[in-house]
Parts: sequence; C-alpha cells; structure tokens
Amino acid sequence: MNISSVSTSYLATAMLPGVQQTQAQLATLEIEAASGQYADLGLQLGSNSGYELSLRTQNGALEALTAANGLTQTNLSIAQSALKTLQGSAAKSAQTLVTYTTGDNSAATLQTLGQSQLQQLISLGNTSSAAGGYVFAGQNTSVAPLNDYFAQPTSNPKAAVDNAFMSYFGFSTSSWQTANITASQLQGFLSGPFATQFGAPQWQLNSSNASSTNMSSQISPGAYAETSTSADGVAFRQLAQGYTMLSEFGDIGLNMGAQQALATSAASVINAGASSLIGAQAALGAAQDQIAQANSAMSDQMTWLQTGISQLDDIDPAKIATQLSTLSTQLQTAYQLTAQISKLNLAQYLP
Amino acid sequence: MTLSSALHIATSSFAAIGTQTAVIASNVANANTPGYSKQIAHVATTDLGGVTVDSVTRAANAALETQVNAATSLAAMQTAISTGVATLAQTVSDSASNTSPGAASNGVSPYAMLSNFSVAISTYQADPSSLSAAQAAVTAAKAAATSINGAANAIQQVRSHADQGVAQAVNNVNSLLTQFQGVNNGIMYGLAMGANIGSLQDTRDSLVTQISQQLGITTNINSNGDMSIYTDTGATLFNITPGLLSCASTTGTLLGANSTGSPVLLNGQPLTGSNATNQLQSGAIAGLVQLRDQIAPEYQAQLDQLAGTLVTAFQETDQSTTNPGLPPLPGLFTANGLTGVPPASQWAGLANTLAVNASVDPEKAGNPLLLRDGGISNAANTDYTYNTNNNAGYTARLAQYISALQAPTTFSAAGGLGQSGSILTYANASVSWLQSSNQQAANAASYQTSLQTQATAALSNATGVNLDAQLTNMLTIESSYQASAKLVTTVNAMLTALLNSV
Repeated sequence: MNISSVSTSYLATAMLPGVQQTQAQLATLEIEAASGQYADLGLQLGSNSGYELSLRTQNGALEALTAANGLTQTNLSIAQSALKTLQGSAAKSAQTLVTYTTGDNSAATLQTLGQSQLQQLISLGNTSSAAGGYVFAGQNTSVAPLNDYFAQPTSNPKAAVDNAFMSYFGFSTSSWQTANITASQLQGFLSGPFATQFGAPQWQLNSSNASSTNMSSQISPGAYAETSTSADGVAFRQLAQGYTMLSEFGDIGLNMGAQQALATSAASVINAGASSLIGAQAALGAAQDQIAQANSAMSDQMTWLQTGISQLDDIDPAKIATQLSTLSTQLQTAYQLTAQISKLNLAQYLP
Repeated sequence: MTLSSALHIATSSFAAIGTQTAVIASNVANANTPGYSKQIAHVATTDLGGVTVDSVTRAANAALETQVNAATSLAAMQTAISTGVATLAQTVSDSASNTSPGAASNGVSPYAMLSNFSVAISTYQADPSSLSAAQAAVTAAKAAATSINGAANAIQQVRSHADQGVAQAVNNVNSLLTQFQGVNNGIMYGLAMGANIGSLQDTRDSLVTQISQQLGITTNINSNGDMSIYTDTGATLFNITPGLLSCASTTGTLLGANSTGSPVLLNGQPLTGSNATNQLQSGAIAGLVQLRDQIAPEYQAQLDQLAGTLVTAFQETDQSTTNPGLPPLPGLFTANGLTGVPPASQWAGLANTLAVNASVDPEKAGNPLLLRDGGISNAANTDYTYNTNNNAGYTARLAQYISALQAPTTFSAAGGLGQSGSILTYANASVSWLQSSNQQAANAASYQTSLQTQATAALSNATGVNLDAQLTNMLTIESSYQASAKLVTTVNAMLTALLNSV
C-alpha cells in the first residue's frame, strides 16, 4: 500500500474540528464587536486580572473620594460664609464701641447692640451643614452646638452669669446699687468671675454642646484634613463674652466711669474675637485649598487609571472587523471544501 | 499441464476472489466505524500454479496506537482540570460583567466586594452621622462576606463534583477491565485456533483507548496475543486477570472544606495522594484528583486566610481605660458559632461561614451606627464601645477600618500566594492566581485536545479504510474474475470441441 494513505472517515470529518473552532471564534467575536471589550477578560488577562481589577477599584475609590470631597467643600463654604458674617459684625461692633461716648440714650444702645449680636452669634453658630448636621459642632454634629442664651425659662448660661454677678457684688443687676459700682470694681468682675464663664469648663457646661475635636476627613487616599471648626473655639467664646457683657450690663444704670469701662472691655474682647475668627477662617481656607488640590490630583490620576483600564480591556474595532471577515471567509471555504470532498468518490464515477 | 489443471487454477482464482471480495466488503461496510482497522487479504500462489488467500491481516500500528492513548490521557486530564478551574474562576469573573471602563467594580470577586466595602467606609467616614451611609457600608460588608461564602461554596461544589467524577471513573475502569478480560481471552483462543480475530482486536483497542481516557496507561502484547496493561507509572492494571480499582468517595453529600479526598487504590495500593509510590500522571482521574486535592484546596486556603484576617482585623478590643483586660471579640466580621477571635490554626473552613455580625445588620434588627461607635461584639458591655462621648461625627473607628484593610499583615504559606501584603492586596493576588491558573489550564486543555485530534487522525489514516482504494481493488478483482470466467469458458469450449471430435 502507499505511504500517504488517507482514511475515508478522516477525509469526511477532517474539516469538522476546524469549522467548530471557527464558529466558536465567531460567536466570541460577535460579543467583542458589540461591547468593544474582550469577551472573557479573565481568560484573556490571566495573571494580569488582579492588576486590571485593582486599577478599576482604585478608580472607583477615587470617584467616591471626589464625591465625598464635594460634600466637605459645601460644608466648608457654609462655615466660611457664617464666619465671614460674624467677623464683619464683630469688626463693626468693635468700631462702634471704640467711638462710644457715654450719654443719655447710649446705655440702651449698648444693650441693644449686645443682644442683637449675641442672637446673631448663636443663630450662625448653629448653622446646619449640607447633610443635615451642624457645621460648628465639632464631632458632635447631631446636637445644636450653642444653647439659646435668651431662652425662657432662664437659660443655663444666663443663670450662670446672673449668679456670678450676685456672688461678686452681693446684689442683682436690677438693684439700685449698681450705680455704686466703680470702674475698677466692674473691670475686676469682668476679667474675673465673668470671664470664667467663657473658659473651660464653664463654657462647655452651660453654653456649648459642641465637641472640641474637629471633624477629620479623608480627602485623598491616606491623606486626612481637619475640615471643621468648633463652637468651642476661642473666637466663639470671645465674641460671646463681649456680646454678653453688653447685653447683660449695658443698661443696668452704671455710673459713667463704669459704663465707659464696660465699653472698653467689650471692645477689647470683641476685637480679639474678630482676629481669632480670621485665624479660624484661614484654617478652613487651608483645608479648602487642600481639597481642591487633592481633587485635581485625583482627577489626573483617574484619567491615567481609565487609560490603563481601557488598554487592558478594549480591543481595536478595526482588529475585530478584520478578524470577522477573515473568519467568515475561512468558514465559507471550509463549507465549500466539505461539499467538494464529498463529491470526490470513486463510486460516483464507476459505471 | 492439462486442461483440467487449467480449470483447477481458474477455480482457485474464484475462491481467492471470493475471500478478497469479502474482505473488501467488510472494509467498505466499516469505512466510517470509529476504531476499525482495515483488513488486508494476502494472496499467494499454490504448488499447482493456482492462487489462494494465504492470510487476512489487520493494518495495525502499535506506535501510533500508543501515541493516541497517551494523548487521550493527557487531554482528558487537562480537560478535567480546565473545566473545574473555569468553574472556580466564575467566582472572580468581575471584568466580564463590567460594561464600560471607569465603572466602579460591580463584579463578584471577594476583592471587588472588599474594595467596594472600603469605598463605602470612606463615604461613611465623610458623613459619619448619616444612617443611610452606615447602612450602605453594612450592605457592602455583607456583600463581601457573601462573596467569600459564595466562592467557598463553589469550591465545595467543584471538589464534590470531582470526587464523584473519580468514583465514576473508577467504576468505569473496573467495568472496562472486566470486558477487556473477555475480549483478551477471545483473542488468545482465536489466535491459537487460527480464526479471524480482527474484530476482537478492534474491540480490544477501543477498550484500551476508553481506559486511557480515565487513567494514563501503557500496554504490552505477548507472543500468544495476550495484552497486559500498566498504569503510566508502572503499576499493573491487567495481567491475565484485571486489577481492582477502588475509591471511597462521598457520594450524595458535599465534600467538607476540611476533609481531604480519599485516594484511588489499585488492589489496595494508593495511586494518588502524597504516599503513593506510583502516582498517576495523566487521565481524567489524575486531573480530577489534582483539582480535588490541590487546586481547589489552595483556593480554599486563600479564602480562609482572607476570612480569618478579616475577623482578626475588625475585632473589637477592650476600650476601658480603668480596667482593661477583657479578651478581643469578633466585631463587624464574625462566623457562625464564634465566641472569640480564632487563632490562625482554626481558620480552616472559616470562609464558608463568614458573616456580618447581626448586631449591625438592619435586616436582623441590628444598628448600623455601631459601625462608627463600636460595641458590635457586645452592645451591652460599654467596654467595647469606641465612641465613648456618643458623638455623631466620630470617625476614629472608621479610620481604623480603612487602615485595617490596607495595613500590611502576614498570611500563611498554605494559599500559595505572597505572604505579606494587606487584605486587599492578598484578595487581589488571589484573583490573579485563579485567572492565571484558568488561562493556563484552558491553554493546556486546548493544546492537548488538538494533539489528541492529530494523533487520532494519524492513526485513522494509517489503519482506517480508504473507499477509493477499496473500490480500485474491487475493479482489479472484477477484471481478474472476468478473465478467470473467460478462461473457464474457453477451456470448456476446448473440452467440448475435443469431446465432439471423438
């Protein structure tokens, strides 16, 4: 027999595995043409799968951080605008006090100024954040940070101030004896027992519910920034001290010397508060800057990650098209060959 | 020489042609029978100048036969491995379900789920007073636990399936060996009697190929036609009588995460497992055993490492400043029946039961805010509470969670991955490992299958029937028949003429 023999059974089925393989490849290519990505990425990437996945999740994490930064930025802007308003009012009040001269209606003016400013301080101090908490509450975001001084019945901070006055002078603010208080006596009280009400721990006990620990947010992977300021801070306490001073003792019938001393003391505390506010604003501004920079860096990084992902996942559409046409040609050839081979049978040519 | 001897010679030609035609008929009839070897009629001259069919032999090719059997064994092994690993790889096939680049991972792998959890914690940390963010974080944690459970269950399924596959293959081989014994005896008898044993030989070759599908074998034929079968590492599978394969498999129940599969025994001697001297190298049994005893347990070890490290990293410690000393308890991640944080030696099977603590799960009347505050392990005991001032903006514990996922830690060598890295990098390496194994197994299976196809084609070409060749033979024989018939007619005419002239 000849060496290069071919069995009929093989000849009939020789095309079959090729045709099946081509059909399977066509099915895969159809999926790939529709999605623009490899049909079975895991099989395609093998040991690179983990790398691809980590790019994808890094990108997801950066997107989540960017979204969270948006929320933080909103809260910071809210806080900044409140601080700015407070700072403006404080500067204006201080100016009023510096130019203050005692006179007939001037006592009532001082009291009104103190009351209105203290109300504004409390209302702005209790500003809500975008997500529903309080921006100046430190970490204790669920509770309004400042107690209402003017609440009825008598609020804790007011009661504490009244008590301090009573125990220092021996009579209440509504007593006729207030006219006897000298300027130096008043100064002694204001810088002594009265000032104590606005320091630790009295401030936290009576006036503030805020946590003195500020919120710390992750602004980029692994980087944290302090992104709030607290109503426990020195700025709020100094302003409250100055405004309370005016509101409580501005119109209690002090003699002229004492009244002038009150205005001077208030002016100096409010001035100090105003400059503390600038410090707080600067700290928040720095956090805003940090976030903006982190966002821009993360945006660059996301672009890079997405490029990396698409390099791994995506197939060139031109390549798919070429392969599709090559494969369909191959399949047609295989079909034709199968038909031709089945005709090549000696039995058909025998008489 | 006489006219009558010429008549004799012509008659012998008819007999030979008859046999040759019968052989051709048999070949043509079996042209498409798989495993059929074509038969060849050998003709020779007789003493008187006549012709006879000396013998009918079978076109056999032992070398190609061996090659086909070896290729069959290897292809069966790689296909078994590839099928199993592809099933396992389903548990990490994230990328396929992603539609566009830049989409957050929406896959199923433990790595993707843990990354999502990490992101959910970050989001929660940005807004720690939000109940919905807390719930989202708990949901992400549950998805991570479910993903690890799912992967562990898939391993159990694959291992049990492989175990049952081994048992079926063992039964199959035993039954094939019994058939083989009958056919082999028939061949020895037929050979001794001088009968045509072609069809028996075809059957025997087909049985050998079927056996080689299940386990790698080599064969040896003695002079009396008796065939012996040995495994690919030399253990005697059949010699006059069949050996007995056995495997105590767990039919009907799932193979537990901690249980090792039973070895395959040949006459009581192990063919698989670490203490087997003649370890099987190929065949479906070898592939299934490798899947059941090596690849799947390695993946299980990786998942157990992940689960154990998660329970440990998210544990809650005694926060009391005055009287610390209570033991750490499982926090966010726990498992059924855990009363303390398990040491690494007790992590086996933890991946199957890993769960999120019910006390933070809103679906089980839990409080998701405990994620921020601590006290997940034991809400009644304030020693395990981290947020002692109950601040709605407390984030220190959440920051600890994030760093727990990213902090370097040490893993056991059992998983076969790098031993240092964070929980996230370990989970990531596990994905790479599995997909890489999947790719390799698929390539090997496709390669071995095409080798098998080629070897089978070569054997078919060497020993199969070519109809055209048979028909050509038929034409030759037909002409020779016509010539012989003509000869008989002529001799007859001559004899008639002779008789008429007398």
